[in-house]
Amino acid sequence: MADSLSSTLAALADSTRRAILARLSLRSLSVTELAEPFAMSLPAVSKHLKVLERAGLITRGHEAQWRPCRLHAGPLKEVADWVEEYRRFWSESFDRLDDYLRELQSKEKKNVHKK
Amino acid sequence: MSTKNSAAPAPASTSDREILISRVFDAPRELVWKAWTDPKQLAQWWGPQGFTNPVCELDPRPGGAILVHMRAPNGVVYPMKGVFQEVASPERLVFLCGALDEAGELLFEVLTTVIFAEQASETKLTMRARVVKSTPAAAVHIAGMEIGWTQSLERLAALVAGA
Repeated sequence: MADSLSSTLAALADSTRRAILARLSLRSLSVTELAEPFAMSLPAVSKHLKVLERAGLITRGHEAQWRPCRLHAGPLKEVADWVEEYRRFWSESFDRLDDYLRELQSKEKKNVHKK
Repeated sequence: MSTKNSAAPAPASTSDREILISRVFDAPRELVWKAWTDPKQLAQWWGPQGFTNPVCELDPRPGGAILVHMRAPNGVVYPMKGVFQEVASPERLVFLCGALDEAGELLFEVLTTVIFAEQASETKLTMRARVVKSTPAAAVHIAGMEIGWTQSLERLAALVAGA
């Protein structure tokens, strides 16, 4: 158990691999499709995929050449609760809302002065 | 990452998973309310740092739809869909909202209640978000948004540099 958890965490410790998993949470993709937004070579992407496959986080299909990569989220159940990450989502959104409201009010003040 | 004792697996039930956040904004309540209910304004701040919202549609009335496509700095688009349950201007907003995969299936769904309280010229927002549905893919979906991983490191670096 401990070993599988540490290999899951090691696999998640890399931002490219997290981005790959995030895209696979939306749909299955081929290696070529996965490589596209990252400006990465296919061998480099393949390397990341191997780490993810070993950690049991993805599976590779056998359909001809396409060999789609699929997310296998099972091991993630062991990873810390995503709700904490969701809290950060809101905490960052609130930071931005704060900036936005400040900006809005400073613009309003300028407009009042013009009148 | 949490260092909680993980000997016992977390309960599969999601009903008791809740976050509570409150923050005081230096702005009148009407303004804060508008920032939440006008789609053009919500698009300006919704999502983690660096995200944009190329699609942002809100119909702020009970039963009205929410559709937001968040675009990460790396180009990945995260669609979110939901529905307003209560819209009591300018005090209380309740909505059910979640992330979709490309098949249109919900990866998670959260019931969010936002209370807008007037405090002199400021506004105190209190948000309660309760997970009503969660799939294992939700964790990686959220983790992929890179909130709190690199960005908190970056912010720390910026703080240190500015000190």
